[in-house]
Amino acid sequence: MSSFRVSGRGRVDHTQPIQFTFDGKKIKGFKGDTVASALLANGIHLMGRSFKYHRPRGAVTAGSEEPNALVGTRRGPGRFEPNTRATVQEIWDGLQVNSQNRYPSLSFDIGAINDKAYMLFSAGFYYKTFMWPKSFWDKVYEPFIRAAAGLGVSPTEPDPDHYASRYLHTDVLIIGAGPAGLAAALSAARAGSRVTLVDENPEAGGSLLSEPSAQIEDMPAWDWVGKTVAELKELGVKLMTRTTAIGYYHQNMVGLCEKLTDHLASPDGETPRERMWRVRAKQVVLAQGALEKPLVFDGNDRPGVMLAGSAQTYLNRYGVRVGDKAVILTSHDSAWYAAFDLADAGTTIAAIVDTRAEPNADLVAEATKRGIRIMAGHTVTGTEGRLRVKSVRVNPVTGSSVGAPEVIGCDCLLMSGGWTPSLHLFSHTKGTLAWDEERQTFLPDHKAEECEIAGAGRGLWGIEAVLNDGAAMGAAAVKSLGKDIAPASYTVANDRPGTGVSHKELPTDLDAGKARAFVDYQNDVTAKDLRLAVREGMRSIEHVKRYTTNGMATDQGKMSNINGLNIASDALGVPQPKVGLTTFRPPYTPTTFGAFCGYHKGSHFEVTRKTPIDSWAEENGAAYEPVSLWRRAWYFPKDGEDMHAAVDRECRATRASVGIFDASTLGKIEVVGPDAVEFMNRMYTNPWTKLAPGRARYGLLLGDDGFIRDDGVIGRLADDRFHVTTTTGGAARVLNMMEDYLQTEWPDLDVWLTSTTEQWATIALNGPNARKVLEPFVEGQDMSDEAFPHMSVSECRVGGFPARLFRISFTGEVGFEVNVPAHAGRALWEMLYEAGKKYDICPYGTETMHVLRAEKGYIIVGQDTDGTVTPHDAGLSWAIGKMKPDFVGKRGLARPDLVAEGRKQLIGLLTEDGKTKLEEGAQIVLDPNQPKPMKMVGHVTSSYHSDAAGRPIAMALLEDGFNRMGETIYIPMPDRVIKAQVTGTVFYDPEGARLKL
Amino acid sequence: MTVLTHAFTPGPIVASGPVKLTLLEPVARFSLRLRAANIPTVAKALGVDLPTTVGERAANGTTEAICLGPDEWMIIAKTDDTDKLVSACADVYASATHSLTEVSAREITVRIEGDRAAELLTIGCPRDIDSIPVGGGCRTVIDGVTVVLWRDADQSFRMDIWRSFALHIIDLLYTGSKEFAAE
Amino acid sequence: MLLIHCPYCNQTLPEAEFTYAGEAHIARPADPSSVSDEEWRDFLFIRTNVKGPHYERWRHFHGCGRYFNAVRDTVSDRFLITYKTDDPRPELSKLLEKSK
Repeated sequence: MSSFRVSGRGRVDHTQPIQFTFDGKKIKGFKGDTVASALLANGIHLMGRSFKYHRPRGAVTAGSEEPNALVGTRRGPGRFEPNTRATVQEIWDGLQVNSQNRYPSLSFDIGAINDKAYMLFSAGFYYKTFMWPKSFWDKVYEPFIRAAAGLGVSPTEPDPDHYASRYLHTDVLIIGAGPAGLAAALSAARAGSRVTLVDENPEAGGSLLSEPSAQIEDMPAWDWVGKTVAELKELGVKLMTRTTAIGYYHQNMVGLCEKLTDHLASPDGETPRERMWRVRAKQVVLAQGALEKPLVFDGNDRPGVMLAGSAQTYLNRYGVRVGDKAVILTSHDSAWYAAFDLADAGTTIAAIVDTRAEPNADLVAEATKRGIRIMAGHTVTGTEGRLRVKSVRVNPVTGSSVGAPEVIGCDCLLMSGGWTPSLHLFSHTKGTLAWDEERQTFLPDHKAEECEIAGAGRGLWGIEAVLNDGAAMGAAAVKSLGKDIAPASYTVANDRPGTGVSHKELPTDLDAGKARAFVDYQNDVTAKDLRLAVREGMRSIEHVKRYTTNGMATDQGKMSNINGLNIASDALGVPQPKVGLTTFRPPYTPTTFGAFCGYHKGSHFEVTRKTPIDSWAEENGAAYEPVSLWRRAWYFPKDGEDMHAAVDRECRATRASVGIFDASTLGKIEVVGPDAVEFMNRMYTNPWTKLAPGRARYGLLLGDDGFIRDDGVIGRLADDRFHVTTTTGGAARVLNMMEDYLQTEWPDLDVWLTSTTEQWATIALNGPNARKVLEPFVEGQDMSDEAFPHMSVSECRVGGFPARLFRISFTGEVGFEVNVPAHAGRALWEMLYEAGKKYDICPYGTETMHVLRAEKGYIIVGQDTDGTVTPHDAGLSWAIGKMKPDFVGKRGLARPDLVAEGRKQLIGLLTEDGKTKLEEGAQIVLDPNQPKPMKMVGHVTSSYHSDAAGRPIAMALLEDGFNRMGETIYIPMPDRVIKAQVTGTVFYDPEGARLKL
Repeated sequence: MTVLTHAFTPGPIVASGPVKLTLLEPVARFSLRLRAANIPTVAKALGVDLPTTVGERAANGTTEAICLGPDEWMIIAKTDDTDKLVSACADVYASATHSLTEVSAREITVRIEGDRAAELLTIGCPRDIDSIPVGGGCRTVIDGVTVVLWRDADQSFRMDIWRSFALHIIDLLYTGSKEFAAE
Repeated sequence: MLLIHCPYCNQTLPEAEFTYAGEAHIARPADPSSVSDEEWRDFLFIRTNVKGPHYERWRHFHGCGRYFNAVRDTVSDRFLITYKTDDPRPELSKLLEKSK
């Protein structure tokens, strides 16, 4: 192994070597390594190129906040993920990793020309540079920008993985299993609560994993973590690792994304890749710790420049020294400890540069003991090195004057600008933040949810302070659940408390206008960009953010927010709290679409409702169409027929003899009770009082605005029992509307509604031979015309099954609809189909149904009506019970607009050439020669080729249509203008002679 | 996808593992609606109590009632008892008006049982399953679909699903049971 | 996803079981034929669209099926109260007092 791996050190398994590839090159690491730690162990810092300037970049962090080290990962076909953070992705044998945003290679990248042209690409360059000429945008500028900028490449293959989701209810959800979270979990679990503890890392421990020398309760920190996890499991705590809390929603609903297979060399195929958890917690404890801030100076983005705390993590957790010779640059005590750990592990610490004039004396003594050079009251004003930092320019600072530089050679620069509490999730709740002057950061203030914030998340520092706070907050959380527990008190030896100061960009002796001092690494936003934005008039931090894109990268400002705020506040000349913060939004870290989809992909994308007869249709080669959530047989093509041929044949067969149709999807509502008829009178336009049991009637339903909502045939089974049918798509809506009126307007009525849509399978038989096919199967109903005339209903038996038999017609032919219990639907269908063979019975689908009804001028609600059509407009005035004192829509029909002349009315259209079929939705004009835009006076609602009429037919909504009978209107199409004549809507058997037996 | 089809043949769907799924035999089902004053009369006619708290159940032999709403019950009985129950209710209709509507064929029922039965429901059901007591039930939603859940034991549930939604939901449960088995 | 208390089930349940049903306390006139066009327009279309506490209707669609009323703050999305359809309209000042 390389000289950067420290033998025996860290939590990686030194006995389990793992090999993966990076840009095709074989790389060795250990089990437990991330891509970043393994690359660093091999001395590789250069991991990616930046978004805009294509600057070479290395890992700046060791965690999920990483802005730079984004890579593409691949696991065989279809399993490619761009923009994976190398600092999070665990390695396994065979993992393929590729750098991105570079061509032809990572070390030599043509796009880096952007970096030389950086003056062109300053803040707002989109808005300025590419303004003119306008026509250049599509063809020149945008393709150029798209090609030049960007991160990884989107995958092009379907994702073969599957994803899962679960709901979870818990008393206390603790987010973050570092010292604060572990201590909080112990308090809550010991008090007897249901506790869920989640952490985005592969194991619990958080910052303790980077602090092995601390002693908690006289126990090495790692032993304490092990013992604590064991106790939590014993207490029944649900501990979830590799699980990120991505969003915190209303009433303590927290979204968690659990990664299950991305760390495995060979997943079993059954385990989902990721699982989205929707957790409802009575109490939430946010123990997410703090994120280290970079310092802002020229060249702070060069590979090898890294956060000091992250270097400490690479050493202690992964056993990797990030370099042989380090310079430390810090404004916080914590970086000194990183220096000590590295020094003790064999890295030369060339200098500790502290921006503070008088660093802590104990730290100075410790450094001196190790022979480390201390440069207090200094700044860094630049770095050198092409693909890796090779030297640092250090200057003394006295007051506001920056002294002469000294160049110090190194292979890494470890910086710390202090720590920012991680309050992203807290901000999702609209909890407010308050500026803490002493710590120069925002801390949680007013809480909007039932939650506690523990540890470094509320500005505490040092393991002991954080542990005790975690214990107290865990106890506080369960106290509001009525459980009292005295929080444990912890003592920690070798603790590393500390303080620091906060900075805007560091002072320099060079031209600040030329400094490449990055604030948002991924989006290449510099301090200069932020100041430019303010100079150009941006005052609100939200505007500064959008103008510069600061904080808009995939790390969502985790690195850049506070530095950006400090600089903007300085440029604006107002204190930070007056500038305010931009809003953090979910998800906390980038989350796959798969995790959001969960099970909803492929055949489970959404519900597909199928009728009891659907399987017969499938076996008999039906083509399907979706109708609301149902899939319905559309037509039954034979011997290579196209739809047109199949539908013509089905229509012809039905009118000539008999057709059979699955009408099971029709909505059905049973209306029962002594006030059933009164309820029907109030809901539907038609009068129901005189409809005798055993008879059926077409019913029309309006909204109170007077417009058509639904229709269907309604049978009266008994004085107080109606069988109501609705349109397929309207079933749920109509029941909802009826329940609304019944529950809230007429609660006094003794009537109840039950959905029976799925109780019944409905088979329609239509055609001159329909009765002959059906009659032999009917028991308990005389099928003669006298005993069972058109518009009748009967409860009888058909084919041995209890049935509700209607004699009704939606085709203009003699028609029956047989309702039998759903489970009997297919059996009866097959009986009727067999018996019908001697009459050449023809199964038909929804398209033929549509044609047959259009030939008769029967409307389809939602196709020939659109929510602005009255019964009169649709030619259905006859369906209105004018004598009734009230019904839903009666008053609406008297509104001035609804009684006005010249409304759009439903008429028939016949194209002049007798051959052209109009397009549904096509617009109608009166004068095709008028200038554009033409005045449109209506549109085609239904259009078919009619076998019975021997020509195309259509229906349309046309302004003042009833008064235009016989007139010629025009339908302009892209390639021509079609002439058509206005007619009535009945194209076949206008006398209704065929309804008679 | 499951091997289940719309024939809904009763029998096991998942026969082993942490959660078993079984399609149950058909039963008689009625939606019963009435006003509070008429509860005693109709309950007597049906021969089963009609609890008045939403989610509570009562049973007498093979006849069961669950209160689904303030004026709504689902009555489950042996298929053979269908006519008997219909005529018993018809006999008291004049004095205690109500709506009894047969929905036997409207839904199908799947039994979910095994060590992790309650947990399996959490893959699609946002309600806290622990809040449903053994011997109770509820109408709720799973993966966007309305279902009635009956908790018969700590880890044994019946789920009534409208027929055309059943394959979707059973397929989800089947997928979940495979996922659980792999854990 | 909100939690909503159903006054008929007397349980606090996930929002996924409920559907929204518009503004509350808009009664259909008892005798529609006697109201003016303007009054009928107001009944059909005119709503308060408040920012803050809003009287509104929900339906426990996937549960007991009942419509009920609620007061919800449209800014914070918090429910101040839910109540049965035939309960009187609660006074806002008392609700706000209680929620403090």
